[in-house]
Amino acid sequence: MEAGKGPVDLEKEVLNEGLCASCGACVGICPYIKVVKDRVAIIEPCGISEGQCYDFCPRTPTDIAALERRIFGEESPDSSLGSYISIEMAQARDSETRSRAQYGGVVSALVTYAMNQGEIDAAVLTRPFDGSLMPTSVMAEQSSQVLGCAGSSYITSATLAELNKATKQPRGAIGVVGIPCQVMALRKMQASKHETGAKGVKLVIGLFCTWALSYKGFNEFLKGKVDPSSIKRIDIPPPPANILVVHTKEGTMEFPLDEIRGSIKPTCNICYDMTSELADISVGMVEGIDDWNTLIVRTPEAKRLIDKAKQDEVIESRPLEESRLDHLREASLNKKRRAISEIVKRTGDEKNLLYLRLSDGESRKFL
Amino acid sequence: MSTLTVDQPGKSVLMMGNEAIARGAIEAGVNFCAAYPGTPSTEIAESLARVAEHFGLYAEWSTNEIVALEAAAAASLAGLRAIVAMKQNGVNVCSDFLMTISLSGTKGGLVIVAADDPSAISSSNEQDSRNFAKFADLPLLEPATFQEAKDITKWAFELSEKLGLPCMIRSVTRLSHSRGNVKLGEIPEGRPVARFEGAYIAGAFVAIQHSALHQKLEQAREAFEESEFNWYVGPEDAKFIIVTSGSGWFYSREAVAALGLGEEVGILKIGTTWPLPERFIIDHLRQATEILIVEEVDPFLEQNIKVILSEQAKTLGPIEVYGAKSGHLPGFGDINQDKVARALASIKGLEYRTRDEVYAQRASDLALPILPPRMPTVCPGCPHRASLWAIKAALKLDGRDGFVTGDIGCYSLGAGPAGFWQLKTLHCMGAGTGLATGFGQLGQFGFNQPVISVCGDSTFFHAAIPGLINARFNNSNLLMVILDNGGTAMTGFQPHPSSGYDALGRPAPVVEIEEVCKAIGVEVKVRDPFEVDQAIEDLYDMLQEDGVKVMVFRRKCYLVESKEKGRKRVFVEPEKCIGDDCGCARFCSRVFNCPGIIWDQEAQKAKIDEVVCTGCGVCATLCPRGAIVVEGG
Repeated sequence: MEAGKGPVDLEKEVLNEGLCASCGACVGICPYIKVVKDRVAIIEPCGISEGQCYDFCPRTPTDIAALERRIFGEESPDSSLGSYISIEMAQARDSETRSRAQYGGVVSALVTYAMNQGEIDAAVLTRPFDGSLMPTSVMAEQSSQVLGCAGSSYITSATLAELNKATKQPRGAIGVVGIPCQVMALRKMQASKHETGAKGVKLVIGLFCTWALSYKGFNEFLKGKVDPSSIKRIDIPPPPANILVVHTKEGTMEFPLDEIRGSIKPTCNICYDMTSELADISVGMVEGIDDWNTLIVRTPEAKRLIDKAKQDEVIESRPLEESRLDHLREASLNKKRRAISEIVKRTGDEKNLLYLRLSDGESRKFL
Repeated sequence: MSTLTVDQPGKSVLMMGNEAIARGAIEAGVNFCAAYPGTPSTEIAESLARVAEHFGLYAEWSTNEIVALEAAAAASLAGLRAIVAMKQNGVNVCSDFLMTISLSGTKGGLVIVAADDPSAISSSNEQDSRNFAKFADLPLLEPATFQEAKDITKWAFELSEKLGLPCMIRSVTRLSHSRGNVKLGEIPEGRPVARFEGAYIAGAFVAIQHSALHQKLEQAREAFEESEFNWYVGPEDAKFIIVTSGSGWFYSREAVAALGLGEEVGILKIGTTWPLPERFIIDHLRQATEILIVEEVDPFLEQNIKVILSEQAKTLGPIEVYGAKSGHLPGFGDINQDKVARALASIKGLEYRTRDEVYAQRASDLALPILPPRMPTVCPGCPHRASLWAIKAALKLDGRDGFVTGDIGCYSLGAGPAGFWQLKTLHCMGAGTGLATGFGQLGQFGFNQPVISVCGDSTFFHAAIPGLINARFNNSNLLMVILDNGGTAMTGFQPHPSSGYDALGRPAPVVEIEEVCKAIGVEVKVRDPFEVDQAIEDLYDMLQEDGVKVMVFRRKCYLVESKEKGRKRVFVEPEKCIGDDCGCARFCSRVFNCPGIIWDQEAQKAKIDEVVCTGCGVCATLCPRGAIVVEGG
């Protein structure tokens, strides 16, 4: 956390550089920063030199080791997948949950379960395909709202803004489902000296993420090809397919991934985290097995919840094969290598890794 | 009761200049009044509309000044007496018709009142509309007193009828908007029957028509030679004479008195300023060796009198002329007694001090600390503040350096802090959309900035529709934002075609702005600017689409709304207000800056000024901490 920086610096270092992840951490704190779709802008500088907006941003300097110590009590011993207690395969027991979810339905099942068990009172979620390509942020207060938020649209929404709104109307224990940049911002919010809605967050479920698309770019790409309001599901099958599949009410369309790469948010190219390493629980796909998830349990509290969920037959699990685990590690390491190389390309200096404050030893692994 | 209906000839009544003009029209038996509101002319038609039913005359707010003049001219062509009133800029708008109705001529008395706004207190320019009378070859009258405002107007109808020409009256803010005693005349009875006969064709044998027009002007000159509105006061043999017209009369009289020059300086006051009564002027300047010309805005009298002096050089001998050219008076801005006295003192080599220096110092020492510096702003609760904030936000989110082209209305203040400095062009009614249609065509030259034109609801009907049609026809790229506050707000909320009532307050058909836009074939959305976040999002979305789009921000002028529906109390819960801290930084009182919100320096909290606040409550929706509360929600 760098002291003495505020919105002017945020604009200069992040927004003007195209590095905004549109996570929403800076949105809704004050009347000066607004988001529409996935575009965030500072409408007018507020004149404050040291601001929460700069503090919370996942693309301003972040001492990852310090955050890890805060969450896990120690720095991560694993450079590829972060701190964890267990890694396994899991799926929701309920077949409807599975059928509506992107993969195995573990996230939907866990959030619903946590709400029903009173572990959390509300959940900050992202609802895809809400009549448009642009997903919407939701503060769900009923577990019945959860399943409507299953699935991924590959576009980020400023979900964390919901937490900032929560300062106006405080809620009890909150669960958050987010992608790695959102999880990182959330952890920065929790570590901040400021009174934020993130202080009430008791459960953080992080999703695996390789990259996200910009709304404008993807919307323009689909124009004339697909009616965004008819989209039911978007999927990127594992390599070597190299395609993006759009399922609509009318049928299924496939687009070569290479045609879509131009719409990837530039900030994703400097992202160092594939598996939401700072979450309590991380969930992603299992390559080649459609209706199962990879489940990484990182904190003891999360382990307690998962064990209970298994006991109550909400989710079931199997061990993850060693070869799949190796594959996951390799994919995560590749993302880190790509990110560091892209950052150095931008800064022209191996010592200047933009937002990443890594130890020399850690950064040398990827240079 | 209106001073216009008092039927007691000889009675002295305190009247505003504009009321006196209206009363003059009543005493002339006016039948028809058409106008578009504009400061400082508005009260002329407003007063007449108020008594329209009483006198059985017709009064309307027209969509713009050229339509007003054409409508009034129709009444004249049917043999009725008609008056049309407008501010200076209105004369520009109606000038096309003006330049041709002078050729075709008129029948019933047709009087055009042009009210100029010296120093542009409420205008986007400063102009001297007297030039239009000369330009169009029309007789011009300039009242100097409140009595004359009435009497000249009455006489203008007679003159117009006699010449078969429209007659122009020029007023200025200081006459139109101040008050003085007026001795009433008789109100005629009876109503003529309107009937159109003959033909009024400008464009047939134009040169002959033009020559005939010059002959009519000569007749006007003859009439002016004997006019009671031209007079001379002062010593018979004065060598130094002030020649003045209009508001200059009072200033000159006071300046002469202040300097004690009554025994040596004469004042020649001209009420008929085009064409000038040459013989009258020559007669009174025979003794003079020096003259000072006092008039408001352009050196109109000055230049025309110099022509007479040059033509009469043999008779009059050399006369030194002081005025705008000599630098003794400005030739721009409004004038006052002080400026005239300074000019006179400087010519005469006298010392002149407006007030005692010690007194002046004490007055400024006392006044300055209690007068906070204030920028011009829009009213508390004005929907334009929210609209312009939404526009600013949408352009910033868009991120392509988009900008706003503006025009004339309350929202013109958006060029300053009241609209977060958003308007980047400001000219005349409708100009924002006209400019935007041009900017929107510059893509082939690498231009990629989005353009938003703003225009008011009344301005839309007045002047912006052709620009919008042009944009549609020529496939331009622009977003037109119509700031619909339900009336012609800047001049006092007069009705316009979508208001639903007419100049007399009777129900009127509604011309829906969005229906007009749809008929033009453009995408149109209607939103409430007080739902700020939604307004921002919709504007942003519209900016992403190519082509011509219209956003109607509809929200009634809150000064009117709060009068009609009562005012809700708005207050700050100080314990929730975070004031200067991160997360707010005094957004409401410092940035949004509604005059109804103040900063309590002692408590370091925002506070609502309940005297000023209109209770609109938009600040409550913008407060990041929910600290501003509207009583009763």
